[in-house]
Amino acid sequence: MAIYVQHGHGKSDKITNALDDKSASGVIFAARNEKVDKLDRYITTLRENYECDLLFDPQFYVSTLIPANDRYLPDEYRYYEAGRTAKDFIGARKIASYVNDTINFQTERGFDRIMSPTVIANGFSDRWSQIALQLADSSIEYHSSLTDATPLLVSLVLSEGALDSRSDLDAFLDILTSWDVHGYYITVVRDDATYSQSFYEDRLAHLLYMVYILADRNEFEVVCGYSDFIGIPLRAAGASAFATGWYQSLRQFHQKAFLKRKNGGQPPRLRYSSSPLLNSIMLGELESISDAGYLDQVLSDVDLDSIITDATSPESSAWTSQISDRHHWQTLAKLDQDLSGPVRRNIMGLIADVRQATGLYATLKAAGVPFERNTDGQHLFDWLAGLQTFIRIAAL
Amino acid sequence: MIARHELYCITYPAIIQGHPFCIDFLDKEAMANLPNLTVEQIEHVLGNVSGVRYIARGGQKVVWSGVIDGTTYAIKFASTPEEFTREEDDDTEVEADPEVIVRASREVETMRDCASPYMVKLGPIGLNFVEIEGQSLLYFTEEFINGSDLRSLLESDGPLAPDAIIDMGIQMTDAIKALWELGKIHRDIKPGNIMRRTSGDFVLLDAGLAFDVIGESLSGGFLVGTRIYFSPEQFDYSNRRTGLDFRSDIFALGVTMYEMATGRHPFWNRGHSSQAFYSNVTSLAPEPPSSIVEGFPQDLDNIIIRMLGKSPHLRYRKCDHLTRALEAIRGH
Ligand SMILES: Nc1ncnc2c1ncn2[C@@H]1O[C@H](COP(=O)(O)OP(=O)(O)O)[C@@H](O)[C@H]1O
Ligand SMILES: [Mg+2]
Repeated sequence: MAIYVQHGHGKSDKITNALDDKSASGVIFAARNEKVDKLDRYITTLRENYECDLLFDPQFYVSTLIPANDRYLPDEYRYYEAGRTAKDFIGARKIASYVNDTINFQTERGFDRIMSPTVIANGFSDRWSQIALQLADSSIEYHSSLTDATPLLVSLVLSEGALDSRSDLDAFLDILTSWDVHGYYITVVRDDATYSQSFYEDRLAHLLYMVYILADRNEFEVVCGYSDFIGIPLRAAGASAFATGWYQSLRQFHQKAFLKRKNGGQPPRLRYSSSPLLNSIMLGELESISDAGYLDQVLSDVDLDSIITDATSPESSAWTSQISDRHHWQTLAKLDQDLSGPVRRNIMGLIADVRQATGLYATLKAAGVPFERNTDGQHLFDWLAGLQTFIRIAAL
Repeated sequence: MIARHELYCITYPAIIQGHPFCIDFLDKEAMANLPNLTVEQIEHVLGNVSGVRYIARGGQKVVWSGVIDGTTYAIKFASTPEEFTREEDDDTEVEADPEVIVRASREVETMRDCASPYMVKLGPIGLNFVEIEGQSLLYFTEEFINGSDLRSLLESDGPLAPDAIIDMGIQMTDAIKALWELGKIHRDIKPGNIMRRTSGDFVLLDAGLAFDVIGESLSGGFLVGTRIYFSPEQFDYSNRRTGLDFRSDIFALGVTMYEMATGRHPFWNRGHSSQAFYSNVTSLAPEPPSSIVEGFPQDLDNIIIRMLGKSPHLRYRKCDHLTRALEAIRGH
């Protein structure tokens, strides 16, 4: 089992709940959302009470976003400086100083993995991707000079569009696979900020291919950040772990979350994560499903389902957003259970699950259950096509 | 059976990612002007050598054997262009050595530095230049390998047994690894450049094209070597490729293992057009050896096919990974 909690603002007891439930086996801390002394104290508490992997995303990439919503980064983290432009990355010495500061911060705290600083790359040949490669290269060099450091993960934050071209990806993979490093931490910047499990089929296929080549073929450890349900196919393709968090902005990565904007908006509505549907749906939708007599087929079959089954109906249950978060982990962990076999077997199993979910959606719709646009199961078509394309290009 | 003349050349018909290029129609090696020598001439010039015998000729060098201080060595001669000697005579700096000399110097240097027991060793005479009856020549010595090169072996005895293929794979991977530790790739791995000793061990020869990945100008690493053992990336001039690495040698070793296992080249047949060859190398999934050789082990099949991956990232990222995979199936 390898799901990590993607830490963010307002952790309260969400992390420890997921660890207690054994739904997650580690945490990826976000520098932006914690003061250093609090972070240090929290690490100590976790180390004392849990066996889990503790990783730290330095979020170095936020420094190039303007105006950045960077909270504690400028005052608390010495490797960080707001408003960096491409000019700030000219010269090996500058790059090396960013790298040393970012890595030293982590070695001092004994994280189980060290993550290299990176910048957001929109493709594999633009200026920023070259900077990202330099940061990675310099990190590998610096890390290899350290004697007792824990293993290094080269961090990559790629915009979704970078995955469009297969030939560019191939050339990029030739470079990544030539590096002598323990592994990669990959985050995909999503085009659309709306929370949904949709993912353009070709991009999904290429992302799966990337993970497969790195993790399975070339035996790197691959951790996928901000992955949520997409983490399931990624795990099937060989990723060692994926991470997701309690807010939608921690479940999929979008630049909006790191840019300053006006406060406001409404609190999110209650959701239910269903393993048979491979989706997180609205509690109201679960109510309609229950009314139509299909509740049992949609439940994830995890501990916290009892809150719903003990009540007369989903909406009259004691379901809260805290429970929903915790239940979300349980659901993902359940899906993740079947994914430690060979890649081909995992993918075949997942394709069967996707087909089953598609059938279940059809049944529910035929029974008159109304779904919203982002919960109506359209993502399953992307997934199926993406998985099939992946099988073909990976010649599985 | 494969054509003896394996120095096959192609004109590449199209454009790769906006970079048009053309492969020399004729391979330079095929055109090399080989020295013409007699036993007497060699014994006379080298002085302390006796029992000189003709062994073989490759694309670039003529190979003899001879006894120096009681031990038999291989003595290799190649022709050098005449301008070279002239320039040296009048004491001017040679700006760029002719390619044949660059190659020979590399070969000697590589043999001297390479730590692998499966790379042929330099003999007592390093690189020397001599003029014999109007021919400008270079020569050097190597340990003499008792055995036969795989090209000849394939022609005389047919394919090798799977166990021998595995041993060859492990030993050649050791040589590739040692070269890569020096920052070099061999670039000319093929049956004619591997010998099997009578003891059964394999030896890699002919490091004349061994190439320093860093700080090398000659041909930039592309399009030098024997065309039909090229990996797809060796045809790709795209500037997005940062360069070649040992994984191109792994590909050529895969082609060699395939050929030694089946008697067939995975991507080329005599009579194929250059276009057909190029398209096969870059896009044809080769028939697994087990579909050609009855009872050929599936797990060795998988390793060879993986070595023939179209991109370096599909092969093995460390020599040790390949060695481990081969060792795991040895003796099954
Ligand atoms: N050290 C050696 N001992 C015995 N035979 C050798 C040795 N080196 C080369 N040969 C024989 O000579 C042939 C050509 O040698 P090689 O070094 O590959 O020359 P070329 O550069 O011309 O290809 C080999 O295929 C092999 O049969
Ligand atoms: Mg040769």
